[in-house]
Amino acid sequence: MLFFLTVFSVASWAQTEVSGVVLDDANGPLPGVNVLVKGNKKGIVTDLDGRFVIKASVGDVIEFSYVGLETQVITLKNYTKLNIKLQANAMQLEDLVVVGYGSKRKKDVTGAVTSVKSDAFNRGIVTSPEQLIQGKVSGVNITSASGEPGSNQTISIRGQGGVRSGSTPLFVVDGFALDNSSTGGATNPLSFINSDDIESIDVLKDASATAIYGARGANGVILITTKRGKKGQSKVTYSTSLGTSSMAKEIPVYSADAFRAKVIEIGGQLTDLGGSTNWQKEITRTAFSQNHNLNISGGTDNSTYFASIGHQDQQGILKNSELKKLSGRINLTQKLMNDRLKIDLNLNATNTKSERPAIESLIGTALSLNPTYPAYYENGFPSIFADVFNPLIRLDLYEDLTNTNRIIANISPSFEIIKGLDYKLNLGVDNSNSDRDIQNRPSTLPQQDGRLDSYYISNKNNLIENYITYNFDLGKNNFSLLAGHSYQKTFVQYRHWSIDKFKDNGIDPKYNPGLGQELDLIDNMPSGSAIKNELQSFFGRVGYSFKDRYLLTATLRRDGSSKFGSNNKYGNFPSFAAGWRISEEEFMKASPFSNLKLRAGWGRTGNQEIPSKITQASSTTSVTGSTSYPLYPTDIFSGGTTYARLANPDIQWEVSTQTNVGLDFGLFNGALSGTVDYFNKVSDNILLEVVPSDPIQAASTYWTNVKDMTITNKGLELALAYEYKNENGISFGLGGNVSFIDNKIENSPFTVLTTGSASGSGLSSATINGYVNGQPIGTFYMKEFTGINAQGMSMFRDVNGDGLDTDADRVVAGSALPDKLYSFYGNIAYKGFDLNFNFNGVSGNKIYDNTANSNFYKARLAKSLNTTAAAAQYPTESITNPASISTRYLKNGAFLRLNNLSLGYNLNPKKIGLENWVSTMRFSLTGQNLFVITDYDGYDPEVNTDRTVDGITSYGIDYLSYPKARTFLFGFNVSF
Amino acid sequence: MKNKFILVLTILTTFMQFGCSNLEEEVLDESLTGGAALDAVADGSISPAYAVLPTLFLHTSYFTLQEISTDEAILPYRGGTDWGDNGIFIDMHRHTYTSSHIRIKDTWGSITQGISRSVTAINALAPLAETNPTAKIYLAEAKGLRAYYSMLSLDLFGLIFVKENPAEVSTILRGNDAVEYIKNEFLAIENEVSKTVGPGRMTQGAVWGLLARLHLNAAAYREPYATTLDFKTEDMDKVILYTDKIIASGQYNLSSEYFEIFDDENHTNKELIFAVDQRAELNGHNRLAYFSLSGDMFPNPAFPKANGTDGPAITPDFYQTWVAAYGAKDPAVSDPRFFKENLKIPSDSCIAAKDFEVNRGILRGQQYGLLTTANGQPFARCADGVGYKIGKLKNITRSDKTKLVNHTEFIDFTAAGSGYSNGYRVLKYEFSKKSDSGRNKGDADIVIMRLADIYLMRAEAKLRKSNDVAGALADVNFVRASRTARIVSPALTSMSLEILYRERGFEFYWETLRRTDMIRFGKYEGTWTEKTDSNVQKRLFPIPQSAIDGASDKPGYLVQNAGY
Repeated sequence: MLFFLTVFSVASWAQTEVSGVVLDDANGPLPGVNVLVKGNKKGIVTDLDGRFVIKASVGDVIEFSYVGLETQVITLKNYTKLNIKLQANAMQLEDLVVVGYGSKRKKDVTGAVTSVKSDAFNRGIVTSPEQLIQGKVSGVNITSASGEPGSNQTISIRGQGGVRSGSTPLFVVDGFALDNSSTGGATNPLSFINSDDIESIDVLKDASATAIYGARGANGVILITTKRGKKGQSKVTYSTSLGTSSMAKEIPVYSADAFRAKVIEIGGQLTDLGGSTNWQKEITRTAFSQNHNLNISGGTDNSTYFASIGHQDQQGILKNSELKKLSGRINLTQKLMNDRLKIDLNLNATNTKSERPAIESLIGTALSLNPTYPAYYENGFPSIFADVFNPLIRLDLYEDLTNTNRIIANISPSFEIIKGLDYKLNLGVDNSNSDRDIQNRPSTLPQQDGRLDSYYISNKNNLIENYITYNFDLGKNNFSLLAGHSYQKTFVQYRHWSIDKFKDNGIDPKYNPGLGQELDLIDNMPSGSAIKNELQSFFGRVGYSFKDRYLLTATLRRDGSSKFGSNNKYGNFPSFAAGWRISEEEFMKASPFSNLKLRAGWGRTGNQEIPSKITQASSTTSVTGSTSYPLYPTDIFSGGTTYARLANPDIQWEVSTQTNVGLDFGLFNGALSGTVDYFNKVSDNILLEVVPSDPIQAASTYWTNVKDMTITNKGLELALAYEYKNENGISFGLGGNVSFIDNKIENSPFTVLTTGSASGSGLSSATINGYVNGQPIGTFYMKEFTGINAQGMSMFRDVNGDGLDTDADRVVAGSALPDKLYSFYGNIAYKGFDLNFNFNGVSGNKIYDNTANSNFYKARLAKSLNTTAAAAQYPTESITNPASISTRYLKNGAFLRLNNLSLGYNLNPKKIGLENWVSTMRFSLTGQNLFVITDYDGYDPEVNTDRTVDGITSYGIDYLSYPKARTFLFGFNVSF
Repeated sequence: MKNKFILVLTILTTFMQFGCSNLEEEVLDESLTGGAALDAVADGSISPAYAVLPTLFLHTSYFTLQEISTDEAILPYRGGTDWGDNGIFIDMHRHTYTSSHIRIKDTWGSITQGISRSVTAINALAPLAETNPTAKIYLAEAKGLRAYYSMLSLDLFGLIFVKENPAEVSTILRGNDAVEYIKNEFLAIENEVSKTVGPGRMTQGAVWGLLARLHLNAAAYREPYATTLDFKTEDMDKVILYTDKIIASGQYNLSSEYFEIFDDENHTNKELIFAVDQRAELNGHNRLAYFSLSGDMFPNPAFPKANGTDGPAITPDFYQTWVAAYGAKDPAVSDPRFFKENLKIPSDSCIAAKDFEVNRGILRGQQYGLLTTANGQPFARCADGVGYKIGKLKNITRSDKTKLVNHTEFIDFTAAGSGYSNGYRVLKYEFSKKSDSGRNKGDADIVIMRLADIYLMRAEAKLRKSNDVAGALADVNFVRASRTARIVSPALTSMSLEILYRERGFEFYWETLRRTDMIRFGKYEGTWTEKTDSNVQKRLFPIPQSAIDGASDKPGYLVQNAGY
């Protein structure tokens, strides 16, 4: 205490004010630079003109630091005005990249890792973190399942490595690996993260980078780092955005007049109720959204804090569709014991409320409902039709509400034992509870008995990790070592109840389920499940570099999982990688390359994402109509014992082996930079739920590792960026990336693995996807439509030439997965204004338009159901020709989208006299999904309706999916 | 320094201990052993083998394969919105079905599940049977069920799967090998099963009846595509042997009221030999009653949502066989099996709930019944507020509410022929009094084998064996003369295979026997309403594509039937 007092009094006695200005390398003023006199706890920040005034004594060391620029340290010689110029980090090589159990300087990374910082994120309404980096990372394909707020996102890194679901990457938030299980409802489980809280997203793509995550690394790893406070920078930021969305595109079904003429023209039965209704317009709306975020951050030498509160309310363009999110976060760092003990704490709580209409039935009815039916009576009430439910009445009567509370907390103290040797403990808890009520309100006219279905899901995920890192130098040899242990336990519990027959008395069933009058076990059998999984791992990493030029990394993880039998509990996942920073070599000194690095790596990762309990057989005894039988005249029925599952005690991990060669380069002092990567990823020991060859089985399918079968993803990724800044303050950047991926299944013992169950009447047993040798995952496998024959019926190519139209005539008809993904973006800034744009596109893929297949065919038009003009495309087609699965409904899925266009203006608070209170103000206008260039005539080519069969993932099917919105947003951002 | 290391190591070890796990999987939501009490194990083992039956006998499963594929039933795209199902019922009727036909897949699924559950039951019951007499009977029933399901598989798909142990891979048998296997399986339990626990369970009568059916059809099972089926004398002798045994047992009687065989309370009807025991409280469905009935017909005053669905009707061709048989006299007054009038409309059109009973049999012309404004709306009441108003039914649940529910003989796949009311309908099973949705809570046992079939099989065997016209005529006329409750159909004076085939249609229409009968009588390749295909390979259904794909890792194991 005495010591502190002394220092303090000495310092204050000798101090005088010194002032100056901080400029960037283009001589522009740099606001927000941290200025700190060494030894003092509190620094200051430069104002908008880059000016500062600070108390210091001659001989004091003053440090000027700013993220992304080289920190400059000067020793004060006199009190003349200081003129400081901060240089950009050469190629920002000092950028830290999060690599799992630590971070590395970008220049030291040997794997294929892409880091996206918050300023490069996609703008606009973002409900889940994947959307922030769509199109930003080569080799990563992000597809939203539909246009619904909070819709699920399909994300694949370097292609699909398995045929089964569970091919999503591992998400790690601030060092805490999430469980990818659903947290209830139909929205993306990741939407709990407030995108405004995210500092950076790092994508680990190759096995040398992901092998540290072992059995969960096969599909890549996405590391999300949230914002933390910065020393000496007390800041309050408020940002808001207000937006309107509308349906980007209607499906062109007939108008009432065209419909009347067409039904007659094709010889159909016209039912004409005299109205003229655009049903798509009736069920959609101009939707409003608002987003508010307030965060406070700051810090001292010993502690930093970041706290935020966010509120997002996004209406969907379908009526009664809305997602509301309220989130709070506190991230703290505290240093103790002379900085040797450091404690990081992250706490995130989110409440998500989603409301959904009956999407498929709503869209399906709106697309096919007779347009001559009037939507409303003259008195304004929705019309009642005897043959079909008016979708507007369905909107009133149906409600699907999910309320999810999720709390994630992790605390990770680290202790420096000796210099360079740190011990770290990571304790994390993720708890989520969700309840979902689906209610059909009772109604007298039209008559509907009320029904309430309630679902409860609770998820728990606990993590304990202990690890040691040791970094040291031996001459020009630098070593960094890591060793640790991890134990993670996840628990998911699900329960469901329902009750029927509510009286029409104006009370919502969800508010009083007790008003339901019927509870029989045939319609209201309760259900539930509870699954516990454990994962235990030992891991280590060795990093070695020589003269900062030659880099080597080796990792090993040994993972054990409760999902596997005792003979196969543990698996080993090694990786090796090397890097050569060619630009550091003497012979490169004169070259234009500011950075040139060659990387090569090899590694093995696993995929354990299969259902639990597969190693154990199960039989259940229950009294149900499908298991019990009246053996005696009495009404007491004995339970029937049936096998629920056959055991496969030998089930194993799916193993993926990946080789990667990459080159990072920077030219002209970093103005032009880029990365090229080639990869070859082979997955084998493929985990599958298959139909047994012998149909006489206690269970209709069983899980197995398919011997010899492999899935290979080969590809090339290219990313380029160019930055320009001139003396006049104009700056611009241009960049883009392109990925080529070739996916192939080989040595499958099955002629075909079918999936993608078709939807619609009469299509229910048909499949759309079929995975065969030599073809990619996502392949469409169906009959080839060749036209309409003389009888007016569909003709298909007779592939085997037997003269018959059979399933043996199915052919490979393209793939749902694009072989080329690309995006390009740019920005230009001048005098406070900035403009950003971002395009992304795919090509080489197809989409199966199941919506058209099940709705838009002549037989339906003939019966006075609405269709598009495509239904009547063949004049000779018979009105009894059924629409079966064929290439007739297979369409080109390539597209190019202007994903984002944003115009911003940074207002200097001085201009409005607020410089004393406000440090920055920003206004922006953003357009999302402004246009799409595509041949696809459904709502949107970016679509993926999940039609998985027996755990084999379907791809590229569009069935009554939620239409995409076009959105305009006004944003305002102010910090104090 | 050293102390610090020790401190850290201690912390580390503590947390490692806390975290370490042996990763034994803990199952929380299932009892891996099934959890049945020991004395219930026998019941629990046999029940699932039987429990497949209600699903198998759904309207869209075995019924669709056996009836929609024939001249007895046709299901057009009703009103352009109902039962279109992308042409699957049209394909079934026209014999243009393929290996991805969902109804074929469903039926295959139920049959293979039935076999599999029987195998599981046999293995569970075998050790219990050594000491427990009930288990011994169950064991025999499980073997009988396996043989029965196998017989269905042979009949529909031309092959059977044979396995004794769930762990082994089934042997696939076709043709004579399959017939021999099924025969021997039945023979092995002939005297093991109970004689009296029927009709819901496999009894000695059921075993004999199924043996008779197997021998009668053996020619078609041995050579499915033969132009002329070879009915062997020894098979016909066996048919006569087993039918004689059943008749001689004295356990069964022909029902004097034909439609009582299909009533809710039919479980005790003495005509039933083997049936699916349905209970509204457990496993009953009302689909066979609901399927053909008008969507605007509401048979239960208590349940305003329990209606029909305007599914299949009989073809005009089948109707004309009745007309041809009875000439100028209407079949409704000639044959008690054709129609039973239950609804006699009072002069004031007002009826008490307890007196309201819909007609049964083949429904023609304008239909009358309870009146409502829409599905689910309360029924119209009489002025006294108690009785129910009866009137002409209209298409009130359809878009054109003014159209009358007037069933016409004309029905086909054209727009004009596929209206909601086209075609004569069949309400053979009683519309369950307990069904509140029209679909659920069926109470009637579904007939698999009844005494009339025994007599008609014997008659057929006599004809096929030695053209014993007198013997056959006696059997047929015995059945006709037994229906004495209302009207008695006149005795036949001549007999031939043609007449017997027609008689089987009158006696067993919509009882899932028609396809098998048509094949046996050489009629399946014929022409009738909307059906012209004459490919003999259609006698067998395709093996579902999913099963073929699933077995594709074992080349040559499961071979698709010819023509698919």
